[in-house]
Amino acid sequence: MIYLDYSATTPVSYDVLESYLRATKDFIGNPNSLHSLGVKTKTLMNSANKQIAEIFNILESEITFTSGATESNNMALIGTCLANVKRGNHIIVSKLEHPSIYKICEYLETIGFEISYVANDQEGLIDFDDLKNKIRPNTLLVSICAVNSELGIRQPLKMIRQIIKKENPSTLFHSDMTQAVGKIPVSCHDVDMASMSAHKIFGPKGIGLFYKNSRVKITPLIYGSGKSNLLRPGTPPVPLIVAFSKALRLALVDIDKRENFVRRLNEKILGELCKMEGILINQTKYSIPQILNISLQNIRPETFLHAMEEYEIYLGTNTACASGNLSSSIMAVYNDKKRATSSIRISLSHVTTTDEINQFLSAFKAVYNRLNSLTEG
Amino acid sequence: MRKLIIIKYGEMTTKKDNIGLFLRKLKDNVTIMLENEPIKITYDNGRMFITCQYEHFESVLNKLKKVFGIHEIIVGYELENSEIETIQEALKDLLTKIEFKTFKVETKRSNKNYPLKSLEISKILGGTVLKEKENIKVDVHNPELTIHIEIRLNNAYIYFETHKGLGGYPVGTLGKGLLMLSGGIDSPVSGYLAMKRGVKLEAIYFESLPHTSNEAKQKVESLARILSEYNNEIKLHVINFTEIQENIYKKIPHEYLITIMRRMMYRISEQIARKGNCKILINGESIGQVASQTLTSMNAINEVVKIPVIRPVACFDKLEIIDLANKINTYETSILPFEDCCTIFVPDHPVINPEISKCLEYEERIPYQELIKKAVQNHEIIKITKQENKFEDIL
Repeated sequence: MIYLDYSATTPVSYDVLESYLRATKDFIGNPNSLHSLGVKTKTLMNSANKQIAEIFNILESEITFTSGATESNNMALIGTCLANVKRGNHIIVSKLEHPSIYKICEYLETIGFEISYVANDQEGLIDFDDLKNKIRPNTLLVSICAVNSELGIRQPLKMIRQIIKKENPSTLFHSDMTQAVGKIPVSCHDVDMASMSAHKIFGPKGIGLFYKNSRVKITPLIYGSGKSNLLRPGTPPVPLIVAFSKALRLALVDIDKRENFVRRLNEKILGELCKMEGILINQTKYSIPQILNISLQNIRPETFLHAMEEYEIYLGTNTACASGNLSSSIMAVYNDKKRATSSIRISLSHVTTTDEINQFLSAFKAVYNRLNSLTEG
Repeated sequence: MRKLIIIKYGEMTTKKDNIGLFLRKLKDNVTIMLENEPIKITYDNGRMFITCQYEHFESVLNKLKKVFGIHEIIVGYELENSEIETIQEALKDLLTKIEFKTFKVETKRSNKNYPLKSLEISKILGGTVLKEKENIKVDVHNPELTIHIEIRLNNAYIYFETHKGLGGYPVGTLGKGLLMLSGGIDSPVSGYLAMKRGVKLEAIYFESLPHTSNEAKQKVESLARILSEYNNEIKLHVINFTEIQENIYKKIPHEYLITIMRRMMYRISEQIARKGNCKILINGESIGQVASQTLTSMNAINEVVKIPVIRPVACFDKLEIIDLANKINTYETSILPFEDCCTIFVPDHPVINPEISKCLEYEERIPYQELIKKAVQNHEIIKITKQENKFEDIL
């Protein structure tokens, strides 16, 4: 099997799974309990939390564990809106967000909030002037992802923050960092809030993180008991938290070296695909090397995916969360419908091998030539 | 122009001949506190300067707020030179990023050879600011923005943002003291206050298994860990007190239980302190709070030791102590409901005015010297550091 859909999800690494098992077996107490088993679990949980806080150089109290990035995005957008209804009703998002952001925006529109979509240039970079113009006195929040999930376009968060704060210091800045963490260096200090997920960094599914600067006030979406966190009450899933903390630590080991390695793989694929007729490469100078998006134009992406599956090679269409649709990200950058409906995503990781890429390339050529000849005929 | 952190020293600036010793210690303490931060430290007799990358400023700042001996932490800008034109240009540049309606300029000039006097500098720069920004005015009493200018020997500094430091003396400059740490609210606060005056702490805890629980000991470790965050790796001496306590309970009239128990604790503490070169005992006694803390009780208890006993919270109200405990983050841990030595075997009516002669008489009934010797010899030492590495293998 050759897995090339790492941006959809990653397999759990052996070490992380080991930690998950140990935390499950050896720490049975509820961290909210007073007895020694509870205290023991709580100490472990606090250490896991502390490790993450140290990695991002933030306060331990600024971290909330969620079920995943989608929940974190909900907390950020809806939580901010509900907490600030008196101050305004306007939020801004980019055209390159994860589908969950657009779904949340649809909901917010039904309860009276107004959404603006900031434009981007042909390279996928946020149009700074447009952003400036769209920020108003009643703008509560700007949400722009650190790395786009389909094309891998990376945004300069620090610069975007500066623009936002200059136009309106009370406008908050949220970034969905799910696709960025573990692939490129990110800083929570560039934003007021951030969303992350464990399953993109070889951690388990079902655990995500919501970062919120301590100065920012938002309305909780979930209510209940438990002392650990006001935004997300209830019994914390300690084994998942431990696994996340470990996965994050491991994801940042040699992050630069890994990025360079993946870049070489990406270039190798690109070099071959460029030679083939009819393939469009959806990559700009801001794309990260872990994501390589191409459009096959004449072949339906689903058909191509299934054909590749016969070789036990697994690729992605758009994002797993949006498959079947027109790719809004490709539309935003290239404004080409054919291109946006025929894209596939090859996503790589540091565990991908050169050998796998060689096999992939030969299978790709065979499948492409076969399917292309059908459509031509 | 570069952004940096400037530290103003606390009380030690009044020292004359040995200020060097205080400053070296402060530098060491700051270095240890910031050990994982990529920083550079330089200092002179008036200020300490720390440079680091932009994204580390906040965490460096937060960590410096836990270092004793710092009066004020400043986030400022160092200019290439101290020419008035340079200052004017830098100020113009910096002010583009700040919005304000009223301001004043405050100048300090430690370089007395500088051609302009402080007031003249303030006046010139005030003019610069007024020319640069629209709709603003000077307000010397209650300005929205205070522009601080410092002219030092080779450089000038501009800053707007200051944070209060903890004050006091760098931990360790005054030697060591042994803190009697019970797990309650008062003793951690006492430890904090002693550290503030430059005392490095060791701590002593009396456990009475199985009457006290392991959780109680863990709680004391947690409290020691919180205290250890202030540049103080704490050696925690754990004394097995069960045998002594059971002996007291069996053989001594119950109204004198607490008095005799405290006398035993004092005796043991003094021995541990002498061994570890601790010059004082520190505890959380507060006058009148409980029966063993009346002035008569203090006399009857203190009488058994020669070492000075410092009681930093002796004259604080309970609420004042709780405020401080909250501030230093020990309160939540202190109120965890685990029994400690002082809360088990409590008589209904402890004596309020114990007599020393009676204490001596009752103590004859137990072989306390032998028991104390045994307890001191067999005691456990736990090294408490601010980093908990307990879960290294799993995380």
